[in-house]
Amino acid sequence: MVLQLYGFPTSTCTLRVAVVLKEKNVPFEFHMVDLTKGEHKAPAFVANQPFGQVPYIDDDGLILYESRAICRHIATKYASQGTALIPTDPKAYALFEQAASIETSNFDPFASGLAWELRFCMWFGGQTDEARAKTLRTSLAGKLDAYEVILGRQKYLAGNEVTLADLFHLPYGAIILDIGIDEFSSRPNVKRWWDAVTSRPTWQAVKDGIA
Amino acid sequence: MVLKLHGFPLSTCTRLVALICKEKDIPYELIAVDLMKGEHKSPAFKEHQPFGQVPYIDDDGFILYESRAICRYLINKYPNQGTLGLIPTGLQAEALFEQASSVECTNFATTAGPLMAEKVFKPRRGLQTDEARAAEYLAGLNAKLDAYDVILGKQRYLAGETVTLADLQHLPYGALVCYSGHADVFSSRPNVARWWNEISDRPTWNAVKNGA
Repeated sequence: MVLQLYGFPTSTCTLRVAVVLKEKNVPFEFHMVDLTKGEHKAPAFVANQPFGQVPYIDDDGLILYESRAICRHIATKYASQGTALIPTDPKAYALFEQAASIETSNFDPFASGLAWELRFCMWFGGQTDEARAKTLRTSLAGKLDAYEVILGRQKYLAGNEVTLADLFHLPYGAIILDIGIDEFSSRPNVKRWWDAVTSRPTWQAVKDGIA
Repeated sequence: MVLKLHGFPLSTCTRLVALICKEKDIPYELIAVDLMKGEHKSPAFKEHQPFGQVPYIDDDGFILYESRAICRYLINKYPNQGTLGLIPTGLQAEALFEQASSVECTNFATTAGPLMAEKVFKPRRGLQTDEARAAEYLAGLNAKLDAYDVILGKQRYLAGETVTLADLQHLPYGALVCYSGHADVFSSRPNVARWWNEISDRPTWNAVKNGA
């Protein structure tokens, strides 16, 4: 059975999964979950995703949520096709896990926090907390200073090959740039890395939304 | 050469690594990093950990940071000793483990972490708790644990019927949540309470919870 992807066409986490499906040449059927109508909080949805979040997949009966877990599953299940996204050598793999953890703890809280304060909260009737946005941006800048050091020694976050860890940054990195928060361009190594990852045809194919 | 754990005895992330060393019967040497003196921000430290955070390990010259990555590395390096199955094998079991591990990072750490920053870490540094923000984080944590209670009503642990790293990832911040007077987030939900009591009763956690 073709993989079923339940998500929202422009949702960051849905796009995170979509880019990996493209990288691994895995066909999928997309089912739109209408966030604007609260479909993700409906009992039928929550039965599959108890946190009421998108996306989730149905892979021949295996229901899986958490976009990064879905990406890992796809990269592992289809290891022998498309782009290799998780190293197999034990030390390279450990450095991949380090890079993946860097994204979740040193990038995502600040990038997604900024996306919320400066764009998404308005969709739900909220208002930008300017002080909080400023703090988040300062923190993000500090983190990217460390990225600048790392990426001065190697091409990508886990080493010299692209991995899932780099791709995980795409959706929120793209959103904050779109909002006007550019902490990449002033850091030459980060800029080089960001340009390399975003210019991948797979990201270009999904970045504006999936059908 | 004995594994060197560079960290702070009471740091949440340092204690997570120490816990996994206990689970996997891995001897280690704790090399204390003086956070009070800002040692973690020194150039010498940042050579090894560019974000200036604890912990990192030196495994016979192999440097690794990010506590969850260190835990994964140690579990994978010693698959046949200590507690088995902390990272399951097999495509489906692995996927459900990754789901559970991600749930901790994106749903628990993102609420419990900032809540503890407001209620515990800021006062320790002489700063004032932002009570409104703390209330927001507490509400967020409670909402997430409602979902945990559903999951844990169907299965014993977060990834299935056996304990995995995903469960253990919750211990350091979870214990701090209890210490700060919010144990009711666990105890008020029957399935979460059962799960929390089981994992926090592990002798391995009790061996490190007061210092790595």
